[in-house]
Amino acid sequence: MDDTPIFQCNGVGKAFFGVKALDNVDIELRRGRVLGLIGENGAGKSTLMNVIGGFFPQDSGEMFLDGKPYRPEGTLAATKAGIGFIHQELNLFPNLAIAENMFIDDFPKRGPLIDRREMARRTTGVLKALGMDFPPWLKVERLMPGERQMVEIARVLASDARIIIFDEPTTSLTAKETEKLFVLIGQLKEEGRAIVYISHILGDVEKLCDDLVILRDGGITAAGRCGEFCVERMVASMIGRDIGSIYPPKTNKPGGEVALSVKNLSQSGIVSNISLDLKKGEILGIFGLMGSGRTELMRMIFGVDDYESGAVTVDRVPIRRSNPRDAIDKGMAFVTENRRDEGFLQSYPIVDNIGLVYMRDFIHPLTRLVDRKRVAGESVRIAGELKIKYASVDRQAVKSLSGGNQQKVALGKWLVKRPKALILDEPTRGIDVGAKYEVYNIINDLAAGGSGVMVVSSELGELMGIADRIVAMNRGEIIQVFARGEFDEEAIMRAAFRIHEDGMRIGSAS
Amino acid sequence: MSAQIEYKTEAGWRRWLRRILASEFFVLYLTIAYVLCLSPWIPYFWSMGNLTDILSNTWPLLVIAVGQTFVLIIGGIDLSQTSVLAFASIVGAALICTSLEPYIFSKCVMWGWIVAEDGGILAHSTAGFVLAIAIMLGCGMFVGLLNGISVAAFRMPAFMVTLVTMMMFSAVALYLAGSENIMHLPDEFVLLGDSYDLVSVPMFIAIGVTILAHILLRRSLFGMQVYAVGVNPMASRISGVPVRRVIILAFVISGLCAAIGSILYTARFEMGRPTLGATMLMDVVGANVIGGVSLSGGKGKILWAVFGVLFFVILANTLNFLNLSFYTIDLVKGVVIFGAATLDVVRGRIAQAS
Amino acid sequence: MKCLAKTVLAALFVCCLAAGASAGEKLRIAFLFQDLETEFWVAGHQAITETLRGQGIEVIEFNSNQDANRQLEQLRSAINQRVDGIMVIPHDGNVAVTMGKLANRANIPYGVFNRPPSSKDIQAVVVVADNRTIAAAAVEYMCEEALKLGRKFTPAIVVGDLADPNAVERRNGFYDAVNNPKYKDLWIDKPIEIMSKWDANVLTQNFQSAMQANPDIDFLFTSSDFLIPNIKAVLAPLGKWEKVGHPKHVIFGGLDGDKTACGQIEEGYLDSTGVQDVFAEAEMLMNALVAAIQKGDTKPNEWLYDPGFALTHGNFGDRCQDMWGCKLMFEERGK
Repeated sequence: MDDTPIFQCNGVGKAFFGVKALDNVDIELRRGRVLGLIGENGAGKSTLMNVIGGFFPQDSGEMFLDGKPYRPEGTLAATKAGIGFIHQELNLFPNLAIAENMFIDDFPKRGPLIDRREMARRTTGVLKALGMDFPPWLKVERLMPGERQMVEIARVLASDARIIIFDEPTTSLTAKETEKLFVLIGQLKEEGRAIVYISHILGDVEKLCDDLVILRDGGITAAGRCGEFCVERMVASMIGRDIGSIYPPKTNKPGGEVALSVKNLSQSGIVSNISLDLKKGEILGIFGLMGSGRTELMRMIFGVDDYESGAVTVDRVPIRRSNPRDAIDKGMAFVTENRRDEGFLQSYPIVDNIGLVYMRDFIHPLTRLVDRKRVAGESVRIAGELKIKYASVDRQAVKSLSGGNQQKVALGKWLVKRPKALILDEPTRGIDVGAKYEVYNIINDLAAGGSGVMVVSSELGELMGIADRIVAMNRGEIIQVFARGEFDEEAIMRAAFRIHEDGMRIGSAS
Repeated sequence: MSAQIEYKTEAGWRRWLRRILASEFFVLYLTIAYVLCLSPWIPYFWSMGNLTDILSNTWPLLVIAVGQTFVLIIGGIDLSQTSVLAFASIVGAALICTSLEPYIFSKCVMWGWIVAEDGGILAHSTAGFVLAIAIMLGCGMFVGLLNGISVAAFRMPAFMVTLVTMMMFSAVALYLAGSENIMHLPDEFVLLGDSYDLVSVPMFIAIGVTILAHILLRRSLFGMQVYAVGVNPMASRISGVPVRRVIILAFVISGLCAAIGSILYTARFEMGRPTLGATMLMDVVGANVIGGVSLSGGKGKILWAVFGVLFFVILANTLNFLNLSFYTIDLVKGVVIFGAATLDVVRGRIAQAS
Repeated sequence: MKCLAKTVLAALFVCCLAAGASAGEKLRIAFLFQDLETEFWVAGHQAITETLRGQGIEVIEFNSNQDANRQLEQLRSAINQRVDGIMVIPHDGNVAVTMGKLANRANIPYGVFNRPPSSKDIQAVVVVADNRTIAAAAVEYMCEEALKLGRKFTPAIVVGDLADPNAVERRNGFYDAVNNPKYKDLWIDKPIEIMSKWDANVLTQNFQSAMQANPDIDFLFTSSDFLIPNIKAVLAPLGKWEKVGHPKHVIFGGLDGDKTACGQIEEGYLDSTGVQDVFAEAEMLMNALVAAIQKGDTKPNEWLYDPGFALTHGNFGDRCQDMWGCKLMFEERGK
């Protein structure tokens, strides 16, 4: 394999709203090598890839493809030049078939007509290569998120890209699918393609990549052979300092009083007879697999969804069913799993989002009008406390913030007043190490201040790191509750899978 | 900010053009430019009489369009406003008319209990007059409530619901009046539509409604919730926004504004008309859209609706003056609106790029 | 920039003055009409614009496209343009009153074509067709034809919507002729009334049942020509759609004088139709209005009646040029 770079960028820079997203970045890609690109959210990884992928031009610097200047006019030009882009956010059309998605920008034709037979043939071929066995005319909406990600990958492979960019490809993949993906990336290397792999999962990066580039605040802080880096060094370069550990020291002390109490909550087919107590100052972890009913349970407790029987109280005050406003008025807060669709108003700035929940409290008593100055002040305060990076609180749309900062906004809108009970569903999904640490810190501080915090997560390690107790759920039932002293990864896993050494069923616990 | 840095390298006039295109006053500038271009051919445009005329045509349409803005921002559309115009017009006129011709109305359903030869049951007294106005407003709010509940509680598409209520209440208006116009309205009522001077009653009503709507939308809790529901109803619900109530209220406001518009038009016509406003829908929705209010919800301002209405009214006014043949007039109107819409798209791109 | 704006404004001002000054020479009459959806209004519109322009009058046209509100706004526009006179085909008699008030207040002579104002509170020149006389003329010709055949007849009339004064007047005209003692021996029975409500579907149904109940109907008057195609559709299957002179010919008359009627008379299926003399009406209205303008009378108040005439199988050659329907038909053929 020759060692001349297939792709180079020299001194590339880009700014939005005057904030530098990329500053003088150089990278090189070579045939048959995987370049790992890591950095916190907002470090400039996606911006860099978007420049290469032709989404927008750079402000300064130059790029070369095969030694020739490369200035893509748009995404199509980039695709034609042989750059394949697998996006973090799924960009498929759920209402179209897999085969249609694969060739959406370049349908094979026979004469003036689309050659559906050829589409089916090529789709089946690529899917086979990925070890997937779907009929080509299956609608994408019928696939699981992980399967959709694989289709996205298949789409890029079908276009014969020479450079393939993976942007967080594993966030929605299962362990098995991830394994399959890594084998595939190995094959792509063999075929002599150049690969860029962006991920927050540093273990994967260490395993997979040949070279490494670490970005922070738009600039490169470290680069070199991957073997020269250990995970600690990667983290240190990413966040610009050493972090003692992944989880902040616990300072909260669960009290005796109950912040949130759930009694015999049932909804047929989803959860049955759930009872649990969240103490003031406690962090309660809820662990379960997909389909265990954990997310549905949280939605019922908060009143987003209805339930058949049972009762929820906050601070001994009963909460009305199916009425989020009542839950909020009585001191509950809820950050949903799906922050993009439910967490905030994407096209609106931070102020409107922070103000949304407690806007009533910003009303002037006489004029009954919203005091926007106070909302803005409060937004600045919360943004500061949560270390949200933004250009403007009242002009920048939240969707232009990075994932971690978006999550902080989704969280921040509940913190105008201290909630008595806070429910967080997957609060760290898809955000980077640094942001995760900050979210843990926020959770800890809230609990230390006396709030009860309930955290749902599919990462058991995370719950073990921050929770005082962990509830394991399976198929709509609480299987077992573990106190911090008795945290045991294997035991909790077994409970979540309902596997028992003695073969006996463990009854529900409160 | 980076865009501003770019501006400095541009020629002055380009920067200026860019700023105009990106401005939210764009439609206003467009209207002014349009008038300046045309005024050499229409000498009467600047006459006092015509300016009064333009304003007097603006007021009722403005009130109705402002109501529509609320519904558009929550991501709906209210087609039934036109039927509210007719419905409220007939009900109000029937209640307060001072006399009716028996040979025309004796077969109509209201004869004998609401109307008789000596007029409607609320005629001839101040309290009755005020009550009749309230009932007219109530008619609008009732239709709005019906729309709102169907959309919010039964999750029916706004387009469907309001299309149905539009047909229903247009039919009700025709049925109540037996397809006849109700004349002989009292002078106090006619005064409400009197806009033969620059300063007029409709002006105060329309400006009042507009300012109130602006404050309601931009500064009140309800306004914030209207925008939130328009952008993302689910996120709003989880954040404690009473989504259903907001949707219902938006439709009620739309109906109420249509009813106020109905009062202004009815008074100006000096008669209740069962077909009032039947062809006005495109002007109301069109004015909002030209003004920049998004049909997909979440984006819009009262000010934009004001500009849109001005644009429509001035367009219609100038086309009257141009003495075009009847075949070309709608063609010209179409071309101008298309041009404005195209410029709006261009402007959207520029605003996004900077 | 400011400097440029000033220059432009100044230029515009001069233009306005110049335009304003040049406008004073010719008589300017605003002509407001409702729409051009039906033949009758196309003919009316044409009659008026041609008559006015023929007199060297500048016509400013306003089409309100079936929107009464727009018509009101257009009237105000016309007033603002300070036209010398206003001619309107109003949406209905009530709108004619509201607009009349405005025109009176602005001291501009106001003329109403075809749809009389519902109240006489306003000062206006009004031209209306005398429906009763016209209908009687058409039916009289039919009766004369019947007399010639020397047998007895079963008469019938297609009635319009009786809420419409036009329909009532046309029915009255029919009875005026039929009840003339001159023809009292013609009839087997009293005329059969067939309701149409001015609706072609309603007519078809009612007419079909009427023909079943009274298959002998052989003398038929329709209150409007627009229903002729539907009448033909019922008669033809019964073998009663035949030309004048055929033993099974139904003596058939109408009113309006549209294109269809013209064609049917020419071919011989229709005996007569009462014609509103649109061209004469336009001329009457214009003359009255122009006279008022020249006298300086800003509020002329006068009702003019168009006696119309009957275009018949007999006088077709002489008078077809005066019927608006025929004029439209010949124009189309000419193309």
